[in-house]
Amino acid sequence: MDASAGSTDATTASGRLTERDIAALLFVADMYAVQLDQLAAVLGVTQARARAVTLGWRRAGYAESARLGPGPPWFWLTRPGLSACGLPYRASSPALSRLAHLRAVTAVRLALEATAGYAAAGAFWRGERRLRARAGGRVGLREHIPDAEVHWPDGPSAGFAGECWAIEAELTPKTVARTAAIMHEILARTGDYGCPAAQAQVPGTPPRHARVVYLCSAAARPTVARARAALPGLAGRVEIRGLPPGADMRGPAGRGGERAR
Amino acid sequence: MIRRYLGLMAVLAVLRTAGRLARIALAAALVVAAAPVSLVAAFAVTLAWWRGWPPRRLYRAALACLPMVAVWWAAAAVGSRPAWRAAAAPYHAWLTSWHQVVAGSAALAATTIAPVAIPLGLAAGGLLWSRRIYAMETGTGGIFPTSPAAFQARQWRRQVRTARARIAAPGAVPLVSRRGAIVAGAVIRTSGHRDADLAMIPYQRLRSHQVVIGTTGTGKTTLLLRLWAGFLTRGLQLHAAGAGRRPLLVVLDCKGGADSRRVADRVRRVLRGAGARFTAIWPDEASLSLWELPAAELTTTLLDMIEHGTGSAAYYADVMEAIVALAVGAPGGPPASAADFLGRLDAGWLGLAYAGPGHGDEAALLRSAGRHVTDIALRFRTLFRRLGPGLDGPGSYGDADAWYCILEGTADVAAAESQARALVDLLAHYAAHGRGAGREILLAVDEFSAVSRRLPIWQLYERARSLGLAVQVSAQSWQGLAPDDDDRYRLAGTADGGIWLLRTPYPEPVTALAGEQPALDTSRRLLGVPRWGHEGSSRVRGAPVADPALVRRLDVGQVAYIYRGGVTFVQVKRLIAAPAALAGAPVTGRAPPTAEAAHQAAPPRAPRPASHAGGAHLPDAAGQPVLPAASAAEVTALLDEAFGPEPA
Repeated sequence: MDASAGSTDATTASGRLTERDIAALLFVADMYAVQLDQLAAVLGVTQARARAVTLGWRRAGYAESARLGPGPPWFWLTRPGLSACGLPYRASSPALSRLAHLRAVTAVRLALEATAGYAAAGAFWRGERRLRARAGGRVGLREHIPDAEVHWPDGPSAGFAGECWAIEAELTPKTVARTAAIMHEILARTGDYGCPAAQAQVPGTPPRHARVVYLCSAAARPTVARARAALPGLAGRVEIRGLPPGADMRGPAGRGGERAR
Repeated sequence: MIRRYLGLMAVLAVLRTAGRLARIALAAALVVAAAPVSLVAAFAVTLAWWRGWPPRRLYRAALACLPMVAVWWAAAAVGSRPAWRAAAAPYHAWLTSWHQVVAGSAALAATTIAPVAIPLGLAAGGLLWSRRIYAMETGTGGIFPTSPAAFQARQWRRQVRTARARIAAPGAVPLVSRRGAIVAGAVIRTSGHRDADLAMIPYQRLRSHQVVIGTTGTGKTTLLLRLWAGFLTRGLQLHAAGAGRRPLLVVLDCKGGADSRRVADRVRRVLRGAGARFTAIWPDEASLSLWELPAAELTTTLLDMIEHGTGSAAYYADVMEAIVALAVGAPGGPPASAADFLGRLDAGWLGLAYAGPGHGDEAALLRSAGRHVTDIALRFRTLFRRLGPGLDGPGSYGDADAWYCILEGTADVAAAESQARALVDLLAHYAAHGRGAGREILLAVDEFSAVSRRLPIWQLYERARSLGLAVQVSAQSWQGLAPDDDDRYRLAGTADGGIWLLRTPYPEPVTALAGEQPALDTSRRLLGVPRWGHEGSSRVRGAPVADPALVRRLDVGQVAYIYRGGVTFVQVKRLIAAPAALAGAPVTGRAPPTAEAAHQAAPPRAPRPASHAGGAHLPDAAGQPVLPAASAAEVTALLDEAFGPEPA
């Protein structure tokens, strides 16, 4: 029996959650919803074991699951689950139109968190859901919120310590002008999300995001590259990479029964 | 004959005196014989008198002793043979205790008789105290003519002292009770309501209309803060449990000025403690968008915000309505901002908008009213300049848990009236059509009569009622509730959630709403000196349930809660607001970040200013940060590790 089995038993039998359960619940809450294979990667167990873990969550009323599209089932937190996590998010099932994007962002987070530098620096992932909650709904109609921010704490571990990065996962291409406008808005922003409108972009104040990292599908990559080229003064702060394996909806990265990480 | 009559009278007097002495002796003997019970009763009456307790409290204490009596009796039955002899256990205990007293063991005697004496003493004390209060209330007690009035005044002082002691005890007055009722404070006195230590208002009553009246400095804000915090706390509890909709509090402070800003800051800090994640202060720190209203409602609201004349001036009102409707309902969709709307109030723009086929009527209308467009634009330009950017978005009521809207009803009445109209229209739209349908909304309006010329307060009331909103109207006086008596009575009469009456010089109209209760008027013979005789008569009369004289004398923090023909006098427990968070460095002349913003920004830490960052990303001449080469290389390495190299 491995540790996860103990976790499952603890969750279902006594109703208590282990540290791993809590971390995974917070992960799912921050990502809106997570597919089973990605959740297995978060828990560091096989998909079968991850399914057993989530059974405990569902029995406790913390999570819901459903097969919403191709691939493994999706899991998301219910209102009691969010309340137990102390997160002020609105409980809702993931929108079908956003499934692909949610999966891509989760894959990006998993890939980034798997790097040695991320763990060594003690970086913090601040997802779109948290940003929106921070803004308290005060997001202007035309204001763009990135898919995530990565905060790198101060420290000697990396040269980019103290920076804040914006993360954008691009699956479908927008127009070059729109993409460039979003890039500019992200890189010119000075205030936190939810701050008074007058503090969002204050000339002469250090920008909030040191750089923006675009993770693009093959279809979106040319548009993003052209948009970056259209911003000569800011191009140095735009990083473009491909989406990590397992980011698309066609199939999970890991096979069932195989330990994902 | 006369001597015989006088002799008879003397004999009768002697007999009366002897009978009276015999009664006194009998009572004294009884008191002495039942000394343990008498002692407890005397102690209970003294305590009730000292603390201003009602007799019911002593009865409850006696009832609470019954389990002890049952256990004691059961123990006596176990030791008795046969068991039925345990019925005489109290008598045996009494007898034994006397023997123990005679033997010099007073403490042992007290222990022996306590299970019997305490409940009986408390009950007897309650009866005696009840008799005393009755005698004083009906005017039949007391030695002097002024005794009943003095007794009542002293009782009030003692009740207030007890209530103040209760709210001063840490943790004694929670914001929400275990059953989910909102606790306003400690009860001083009740009449027609159930007596209790704490004044608890069910949450559902806050979901009904309420009226609050109290002059400045009487603790009205403290009371309102407590009610608002209770509403939010309980509402959020229910929402988290899946048993209710998410609460939304909207406060319209129609006074404005620096005092309103101070109150707003206090409200925000208190509500944060109550669970409100974001309290928006309008228009200082948050905005709403008037332009989210549908075209038809937007047209109506815009017209209502402008002051119209009457009589022959009604013609211009019609012209304005036609032009505004054309501007708002243009084929391209309604305007998105004040600037957009003002840009449309141009004869050329409107002409082009309605130049296409199918707009013949509009074009004709425009031709006839076109010469007024410039004047109308001027009026709206002036209006928007006076209103400021608060209604020009972005934002909606759904963005926050609580909105504190400050209307400059003192400094700029006309602008405040327009703002009030717009804010209420936006709230009505939000509640009826937006996400507000899923929220429990409490609309609290303070001194609304100052800005209610364009929106009569009864209309606000009726509208709120139809939308399922709860309205809480507060004013400094009865006259401040509404412009005329009809509206005032209409407001007070429909306050299903009760009326909170603080000190005010003219409470009679409100106290009359509590109704009357039967009271005895007793007249007694005066014996030449300021002393009553024993002869007189009584008659029943109707006395107000809520005594206006008492309301007029209420101290700071004391309030009379009138509800369903009863009144509870409450010593309100002040909510302590969390200390204001230290503001960050101010930026470019704007107000420093609010306590809420500072609180919410704490985790995770916001990026440091570039001058302090490890990477030292100082802006270049163009204002763009310069990333050091070492950092760029490390970033590339990290991203390559996570996502592979940058695609060609």
